[in-house]
Amino acid sequence: MSEKSNPYNVPDTGHVWDDNLRELTNDPPKWWMIGLHASWILVVIYTIIYPSWPWFGGAYKGMMSWTSIGEYKEDMKAIDAIRARYEEKLPGMSAAAILGDSELSQYVTKSAKVLFGDNCAACHGNNGAGNTDYPILADDDWLYGGKIDTIVQTITGGRQGVMPAKGGAQLTETEIDQLAQAISKGEPTTAPAWQKGACFACHGMDGKGMQALGSANLTDHVWRFGKGSIDDIKYTITHGVNDPKDPATRNAVMPKFGGGKLSETDIKKLAVFVHQLGGGK
Amino acid sequence: MEATQVEQKYSFDVVRWFSIAAVVYLVVGTLVGVYVASELAWPWLNMDSPYLSFGRLRPLHTNAVIFAFGGCALMATAYYSVQRTCGVRLFSDALGWFTFWGWNVIIVLAVITLPLGFTSGKEYAELEWPVDILIAVVWLSFSFNFIMTVAKRKTSHIYVSNWFFMGMMVMITYLHVVNSLAIPVTLFKSYSIFSGVQDAMIQWWWGHNAVGFYLTAGFLGIMYYFVPKQAGRPVFSYRLSVLHFWALMFGYVWLGAHHLQYTALPDWTGSLGAAVSLAMIIPSWGGAINGMMTLSGAWDKLRDDYILRFLIMSLAFYAMSTFEGPVMSSKTVNALSHYTDWTVGHVHSGALGWVVMVAAGALYHLVQKLWNTEMYSAKLVNLHFWMATIGAVVYITAMWVSGIMQGLMWRDYDEFGTLTYTFAESVAAMHPYYAMRAIGGMIFWAGAVVMLYNVVMTVRKAPATSTVRAAAARA
Repeated sequence: MSEKSNPYNVPDTGHVWDDNLRELTNDPPKWWMIGLHASWILVVIYTIIYPSWPWFGGAYKGMMSWTSIGEYKEDMKAIDAIRARYEEKLPGMSAAAILGDSELSQYVTKSAKVLFGDNCAACHGNNGAGNTDYPILADDDWLYGGKIDTIVQTITGGRQGVMPAKGGAQLTETEIDQLAQAISKGEPTTAPAWQKGACFACHGMDGKGMQALGSANLTDHVWRFGKGSIDDIKYTITHGVNDPKDPATRNAVMPKFGGGKLSETDIKKLAVFVHQLGGGK
Repeated sequence: MEATQVEQKYSFDVVRWFSIAAVVYLVVGTLVGVYVASELAWPWLNMDSPYLSFGRLRPLHTNAVIFAFGGCALMATAYYSVQRTCGVRLFSDALGWFTFWGWNVIIVLAVITLPLGFTSGKEYAELEWPVDILIAVVWLSFSFNFIMTVAKRKTSHIYVSNWFFMGMMVMITYLHVVNSLAIPVTLFKSYSIFSGVQDAMIQWWWGHNAVGFYLTAGFLGIMYYFVPKQAGRPVFSYRLSVLHFWALMFGYVWLGAHHLQYTALPDWTGSLGAAVSLAMIIPSWGGAINGMMTLSGAWDKLRDDYILRFLIMSLAFYAMSTFEGPVMSSKTVNALSHYTDWTVGHVHSGALGWVVMVAAGALYHLVQKLWNTEMYSAKLVNLHFWMATIGAVVYITAMWVSGIMQGLMWRDYDEFGTLTYTFAESVAAMHPYYAMRAIGGMIFWAGAVVMLYNVVMTVRKAPATSTVRAAAARA
């Protein structure tokens, strides 16, 4: 091997493979050898400090008795200490009372944000901005009412509206079309089918909906289903909502969060949060 | 030796086929990777089809790059270098062809079963039990053929690259077999014989050692043959190679538990895994510096030897990711980094930066030797080098930022002691980085396409010496 191809000027091991593969007799760099020894020393120290070696009757527990669950509990204790002065008041207060207390409602709004994100936002959108076919919670339009106690009720028991399908025998294609046009303009009562279909029975004589039934206000251009196109409206009239007789009916179910799914305190928190999103009454 | 003599002396056809297959699978595997990365950035790419969903394509990506590309690259380089360093022909040509076709049947089976949703649910070992058995059979034939070739060698000592290949073979055999132990229920469904946290532990014992022995030891075998060959320099230190070889072999098997810290796994197991992980930085660097210092006095070669550039850049990435990994396994960092994209970034700094780069360098070297010619275009090799480097860096950087951001957002508390961000907000915040990652992947993939083109053109213009050449001409 030429001088140039061996810059270290040390002999090789004397073995040659495949014509020209050789290995030099260099020692590993000193820093590397120190590092190698430091490495196993580190393992010894680390495993003295922390739980490590398995042994009869349970593994060695380490000098500091560190456990991962202990670390978790300690972190949670620090967090709980901050929350405690608010949290301890909540069980004894109604949602309305919490809403009336400016400091508590501020805390509750903050702490419900993640609750809302984890439990509600999948349907109602981030911060209640709504999704197509799911109600917006950030406006002041309420199907069942926007009072704080009503919101608690809605979250606790869930909601399931019903509108019978009006297609087929009840209303003709033309009638449904006319009715949809009128609803689209916000003047549902002007369509001939308004009376024939008995829409007023649930949506009220003025077409503004009845919160006791959860029926929609048809005059305000806020759309419960679809984006408010004529086709969207016609579909709802034709197939209804949650009508068991029509397989193509619109589904509208808000699940119940009471009865163990969320605690009463969490429901109160969410009610205050939703109330403050924009439209609470 | 004259080319024709070499041709007669060694069994090169199977190496040629493995080499071409490796380059093709690199393109395919990274393409699937780019697609699943794009799905995370632009979910409509799911097209509401279960066959295209992330959950099914992601294992297809990992299997394609690790086992299809990685496997073929390993088998090509191992079969080539073992013959050359032992000075003898492969123990059995027939067994060599069996491993080639067997391995490719496994790959085809993966391509069919994974999108159909057949999975054992074990990460990096998703294939169902009949395929697992086939993998064991083919892997053992490969190992047997290799070891028997070493056994009949003409040289007195076994060259260092062969230690690493054999270390890989022994360890991967028992890791694969133990991790895949399962009770078959039907032809397409089985259940692991381990349950609960033990199953998770076995899974990660395999998972991390697939990295440690397959993607590290095996590819160090590649490094030890192709770096000194390409550089025309002797290996820097025999002693260093012995020390870091045994340190890696004894150390790596302990690491799996660091994937399960802060879980139901007993704390002692995770701590032990983390301690040994931290102790693996120096042994890992042993390989990196032994490769780099082999280049001493030949650094000028990097100016115009683009193949050498791949090999050296791979060692730089290797050194970086073997530092990063242990740091991530320490408790404090792990508490932040676990479950975030940082892990994904770390894996890819190893996979793109180390595994693909060192394999690409070796494959370019191989193509020239096997077809007894120069690359069709040296400029395209250089172009590939820069695309691979830039693609990998863009990818890794995106995942660092998004991973650390995720970790910080998930644990952020406000003055009321309540979480600042919802999970969905952290997902939304990732979007630009997911797009950036997909773009990094696209650049890397395009580099692989350049490589495939260059290799095909090289083979086409090469003098007719092989079956692949004949096949390419027919095509």
